[in-house]
Amino acid sequence: MDTYASATDLIYPEISEIFADVFQHGGPLAKGTSPDDVPRWDSLQHIALIRALEATFSVRLSMDEMMEIRSVGDIERVLGRHGV
Amino acid sequence: MSSPSLDMLRPSSTPRGASAPVPDDKIGEIVDAVIDAAPECVRNRILLPAIDWAMVPPHKVGLLLSSLDQAGIPLPRWLAKPLLLSGHTLSVAAGDALPGTLRVLARLNGAAGEPDERESLAASLEGLRYASDVDADIAVALVRRLLALSWDDEALRFALAHAASVPRVLRLVGDVFARHVASLPILRIRVSGTSTTRPLVDGLGTAFAVEGWQTEIAESGFGGALGDLLSPPYDVDALLVLLDAEGLLAADWRHAAPDVERLAAERADMLGQALRSYASRAAVPLLINTLPVPPAPTVGLLDRQHGMGLRRAIDALNARIVAAAEASGRIVVVDADQALSSLAARDQVDPKLCYYGRIGYSDRATQCLARAFAEAWQIVRRGPVKVVAVDFDNTLWGGIYGDDGVGGLACGEDFPGNAFQALQQECLRLKAQGLLLVALSKNEESALEVFEQHPGMVLKAHDFVAHAVNWQPKADNLKRIAADLNLGLDSILFLDDSPHEREAMRRLAPAVVVPEMPDDPAERPGWLRRLSATWPARLTAEDAARPAVYAARRAAQDLEARSASLGDYLSALEQRLAVSFVNERTLARVAQMHQRTNQFNLTTLRFGEPDISALAENPDRGVALVGHVTDRFGDHGLVIAATVEIDGTEAVIRTLLMSCRVIGREVERAFVGALLEHLAARGVERVRGMYAPTAKNTMVRDFYESCGFSAAGSEGPGTVWSFAVGETEPPRSDYVTTSWET
Repeated sequence: MDTYASATDLIYPEISEIFADVFQHGGPLAKGTSPDDVPRWDSLQHIALIRALEATFSVRLSMDEMMEIRSVGDIERVLGRHGV
Repeated sequence: MSSPSLDMLRPSSTPRGASAPVPDDKIGEIVDAVIDAAPECVRNRILLPAIDWAMVPPHKVGLLLSSLDQAGIPLPRWLAKPLLLSGHTLSVAAGDALPGTLRVLARLNGAAGEPDERESLAASLEGLRYASDVDADIAVALVRRLLALSWDDEALRFALAHAASVPRVLRLVGDVFARHVASLPILRIRVSGTSTTRPLVDGLGTAFAVEGWQTEIAESGFGGALGDLLSPPYDVDALLVLLDAEGLLAADWRHAAPDVERLAAERADMLGQALRSYASRAAVPLLINTLPVPPAPTVGLLDRQHGMGLRRAIDALNARIVAAAEASGRIVVVDADQALSSLAARDQVDPKLCYYGRIGYSDRATQCLARAFAEAWQIVRRGPVKVVAVDFDNTLWGGIYGDDGVGGLACGEDFPGNAFQALQQECLRLKAQGLLLVALSKNEESALEVFEQHPGMVLKAHDFVAHAVNWQPKADNLKRIAADLNLGLDSILFLDDSPHEREAMRRLAPAVVVPEMPDDPAERPGWLRRLSATWPARLTAEDAARPAVYAARRAAQDLEARSASLGDYLSALEQRLAVSFVNERTLARVAQMHQRTNQFNLTTLRFGEPDISALAENPDRGVALVGHVTDRFGDHGLVIAATVEIDGTEAVIRTLLMSCRVIGREVERAFVGALLEHLAARGVERVRGMYAPTAKNTMVRDFYESCGFSAAGSEGPGTVWSFAVGETEPPRSDYVTTSWET
């Protein structure tokens, strides 16, 4: 179902910048990258991530989407749904 | 690139819809064709927007520009922007009509980084710091270009000035910014709130850095505001408290309604007491915000007046905060409604953040508040400028004294002079708030006569503490005046409509505060009010000690707000009604009132000039009266009129009408009283009046009754009223002084 050849291929390169800003995370991102891989991705910084996504992509995320996002792949799926 | 064996695997023809790569030379041909047809493409706004100009060589852009030039088509902004963002240069002529930011970008794109270029661009760059609504893409391109030229200082200054509207630019100057912040004085702030303060803390560092402070922030625990107010911190330079409605005023509707109201009142009391306690015990300033308009009311339309209304509770709480600040110089209040005025109330809160993490404000609102706190701190620390130096021609009045003469200058009650008069009023306001006005004009000294001779000038020559009206450079004049007044140049604000004068001042006297004044005179009065360089930190005892200044401020306060009742308000208005017989001078206006008045109109008979003059000119047949109203705020003109037919001892009021401007001030009672007394003096014994209902005049249905008339039957849908002269007292008003004019 996932037709992308490489898991490290981000659809939205801005996500790397956001992770660097919000989590000071400079490492490679994959679809599976989750709070387990990013030390500062805790429940408080999760808010900062949502705020940054909304500001960068000019979308308004819902409460459900806020909970749905548990990985980089989730972020891309949610953004795709918003027609980003 | 691909090997022969792979080629064999490809389908022989490309399926429809699939993208086959277009060779570069083909794209080049298309671009060439579009450039050939440039005038046509610009006129129709086609094709050109699709081109990626970064891929087009400069000489082709040159062809494009010269073909537009030959066709006499000015370079439109929508095309100039992508060209400049891609790094192209423009000829001077092509760039001249563009907005300031694009013009500077055009010059930067052509710059090679030489020191003399840097110097010649310095003043323009300085001007850009004050430009408002800078396009984000252009701002980013400007910063990138400045960094590429290694003009780090300029890049930083521009980025700091526009960090509020384009936060991205600070990231671009990252290292430079970090070095800058490290060089700033340190400010230790303790932050507490009534909900989560984390997002605010994230924004405060940048906001204070923009104002020139490096922050060290200590956060109290969740909801620590009251605790910090009651036991003030001592190891910091300031306490910052972020209040939010949800954290402070969320009601529990399981309580009975009176309890909900009581609890809200108790919370306001508690905060008020905490603030008073802070003021009496704390050693450091407190920055605190008011609560903004709530995004959703709790009592709908009645939210501001009903005891269960959230808005009412917010108003009460804000009143406590403001009262505490008035009583103590240590409390600095940030008006949230003003700080958040660029956002709709619904956008000031993000409900999911509120439910997820008890965050009281949306991301954008948080950034606005962070900036407002930092600005407030800076205003308190720095204080406003002390002097406003202001230009004459096309600044204080429209037109040029030397060319147009005193009579040709626009300034007065009418458009467009009223915009200039409004700016003069703003200058007087600043004077009333303790600033000194200085006149600074390139003119013959006789230009000062304008203030005394032109009837529209509200400023007078004696309002200026000093003037330099001559042909010397303004910077020289200003330096001399600053020395005379013993004030630093950095305490002077310079207002001038001329971009050249502003640039010259920035270059020759860089310490002077030289904002970019809007080109449109209509924008200037509001702009000057928003200019925070003039905002007083506190109107101090020193200001209050100046009686003239103090009196002016008091008088400016809204009269109705000071008046305890409608009666007090009406008597304070000092209304005067002058009643006169309609004559040839007033006839046209009275006829016009008959045509236009719909609400306060008893019969809505559309009498024309002949109908009215028939009564006005034949005293044995009738009378036509008109009333002129003035009060302490001004002249309302002719606003009320009546026509009456007289037949011996009988009189009939045919028409009685009044302009909406003066409704509700008892003018009509005084006028009818004067009318009845006049009729009595002429021997009339009975006066009849009629109310003929229309869709719009129900407001006067009971008017005759309220004036002492008694019901005398009906006529169609209307009612007839009768007044017995001598038996009933004519109506009068304590709030209107009536006189007769002949």
